[in-house]
Amino acid sequence: MTNANEVLSSLQSAFPGALSDPRVESDTRLWVTVDSKKIRDVCKYMTDKLGFDHYAGSAGVDWIARNEMEVVEIMTSYGAHNVVAMLKVKTPRDNPSVPSLVDMYWNANWYERETWEMFGINFEGHPELYPLLLSDPLVGVWPWRKDFKGYPDLTTGERAVQITTPEGYTEYRFPPTPAEVEAGTVVTERPKYPTFREREEAWIKSDSEMIMHLGPQHAMVPGPFLLDVLVEGERVKKAFLDIGYIHKGIEKIMENRTWLQGITYTDRMCYVASLTNNECYCGAVERLLGLEVPLRAQYIRVILEELSRIQSHLIGTGEFLTLIAGVGFAPWQYMIIDREKIISLIESVTGARLTHSFVRFGGVRNDLPEGFADHCRKVLPYMKSRIEEFIEFFAQDPIYHARMENIGSISPETAKKMGCAGRVLRAAGVPYDMRIEDPILVYPELDFKVITGTRGDSADRIDCTLREILESIHIIEQCLDRIPAGPIKSETKIPKKVPAGEAYYRVEDPRGEMGMYVISDGGDKPYRVKVRGPFYATFQTLTPLLEGVYIADAVAIAGSMDGCPSESDR
Amino acid sequence: MGISDVIPVPVCIDEEIEKWTIFGQPVTEVWFTTTEKIHEIIQMGPIKNIFNWGRKNSVYFLMQPMGCCGVEMFVFGAAPYDSDRFGCIPRNTPRQTDVMIISGYLTRKYLPVFKNLWENMPEPKWCIAIGECAISGGPFYDSYNIIQNTGDYFPIDVYIPGCPPRPEQFIEGLINLQEKIKQRKDKRGY
Repeated sequence: MTNANEVLSSLQSAFPGALSDPRVESDTRLWVTVDSKKIRDVCKYMTDKLGFDHYAGSAGVDWIARNEMEVVEIMTSYGAHNVVAMLKVKTPRDNPSVPSLVDMYWNANWYERETWEMFGINFEGHPELYPLLLSDPLVGVWPWRKDFKGYPDLTTGERAVQITTPEGYTEYRFPPTPAEVEAGTVVTERPKYPTFREREEAWIKSDSEMIMHLGPQHAMVPGPFLLDVLVEGERVKKAFLDIGYIHKGIEKIMENRTWLQGITYTDRMCYVASLTNNECYCGAVERLLGLEVPLRAQYIRVILEELSRIQSHLIGTGEFLTLIAGVGFAPWQYMIIDREKIISLIESVTGARLTHSFVRFGGVRNDLPEGFADHCRKVLPYMKSRIEEFIEFFAQDPIYHARMENIGSISPETAKKMGCAGRVLRAAGVPYDMRIEDPILVYPELDFKVITGTRGDSADRIDCTLREILESIHIIEQCLDRIPAGPIKSETKIPKKVPAGEAYYRVEDPRGEMGMYVISDGGDKPYRVKVRGPFYATFQTLTPLLEGVYIADAVAIAGSMDGCPSESDR
Repeated sequence: MGISDVIPVPVCIDEEIEKWTIFGQPVTEVWFTTTEKIHEIIQMGPIKNIFNWGRKNSVYFLMQPMGCCGVEMFVFGAAPYDSDRFGCIPRNTPRQTDVMIISGYLTRKYLPVFKNLWENMPEPKWCIAIGECAISGGPFYDSYNIIQNTGDYFPIDVYIPGCPPRPEQFIEGLINLQEKIKQRKDKRGY
């Protein structure tokens, strides 16, 4: 298997002079700064020769003290090896511009659009550099830059002014100070681009076509998003996706909070699977601090994360069934009743139903309560029998199969090219699971299978979900047998200030590969936290999947993705 | 207002009927009159209590998850907590609902859509703000994209604190709203 040192030496021999500041953290993590003229060649070389076929996202970083900006391209592989290479491209802060990678990696589209709207970094050659998450009034103020003043700025308190709009509503705005007007730092010219509506209406070519809006309000998806479909008769010709309706700016807010406070924000990123989000952030900070987690704490984390995965899969399946059944709430009720049993298990440990903030740097907040193992051993066999019943029920229902087979199917090659992860990819037949690829905690010692499908359609995705629950139950049972006694927190005292450095940590979220890229400048707050959201990556593949299907199937395909728009918007 | 103002067609009325009264008013004015007049008359008698009793026991809410509280709203509307017991049934479209539940972060991008949903709801209607984010911005108090002052945009009747509140708190808030409807203390007039 390739390791980071081999990758680095191969790159250095192929591109002498183009690379600088290499840093190899471990066998699987590599940081290197690449000349912006060579970045496309380096990426192409890595994909073709070194097996880096998975473009896992990009992050913008604003280094205001050095007066430059950075775009970090995160490259990794679908199973060939587990090296994650972070390629940094530097650009001056005055007129930031880097080459676009969209024509090489299809899924770079959204990542680059996001970096553009948040930092104002231009991507040369990007075909549609339009805002993705922000509403139109905020485009052009570049909110994630370090010199952005907030809205409203409650830390200073003075500059947010209450204004009554002509419609009679109240708004809080920032009028520029006279000094800023004189210095010319006020944004007066906003970027010009066609609005979302203009863009989609440009696709209407004849009178027989029309645009149908699905959303932004959805009754059965835990968050709003706008899915517009261009239909001719019953067929969808093209789909358009507009997200950002619950964009909270978590990545920016976390820069203004202490390291410990950041944990509470990871909860609210994806509230259906908050424990894996906790794990991802805490794991990244533990790498920066160089902490070892005690064995008992590792087992507790694994137990709770698997419980969290079960309840997330249950709610996702329930949503999907309600979406395909139209107005019927009955399947939904079954899933929610079962989910409550898992929630009460988690609650007995963490004290919260959804937002746990349970995982801590170097351990967990508290120990398992008395009798937890017995309670678990009572609930899990019941859950197992229920899930087996569901699987059998789905397998033998001819109506369900007639409706769902070959709907929204995706081939393994396409799924890889689109940068999917999680169960969308696994249903297509690629055994790609972070618990195997980049093992953390005690996962290497546990016995479990990676569930894969064959056709990659909606039916397969739901089947994979349900069978993954069985695997999770199996993992928890093993953990309950093996969990040792001992401390639940690292004995090292956690300092308030985290040493300068950067770390990238990956976990298997219920929705796929989740990564967090955390940068510290040695202070008591993170310098930058980049979240590689799993559903953000999957969501992007929705629009091409919808081309050519019936309208009724569009809902089923969107439902089978197990959406959590909150986490894709952040 | 006479009969001829409202109904243009000639109506034959017995002379005796013109002498009848209902709630102290001539019955002819009550029978052939406008909606406003009917509401005035409803206010006069004990029949108003029956209307409010009916409204109190059929508070349908809009299934409109926007955040963590939205997931708790799912559970509140489903079998384990069973909001149907209180006549509170989840509906999928604003045209069929009486109560809007602001269940999470209201962003600047979503606000126009949300106002549209609110205006699609038929009167009389009520509004509940659930969770810290909907009340004051909560943990996102300094976010550039979150509306901190939802109360300025929507006439909120009941605030339910929590981050997120438990489904039991939803039920408590709902019962408070029902009391309010019963006592006609809501902001929306009748």
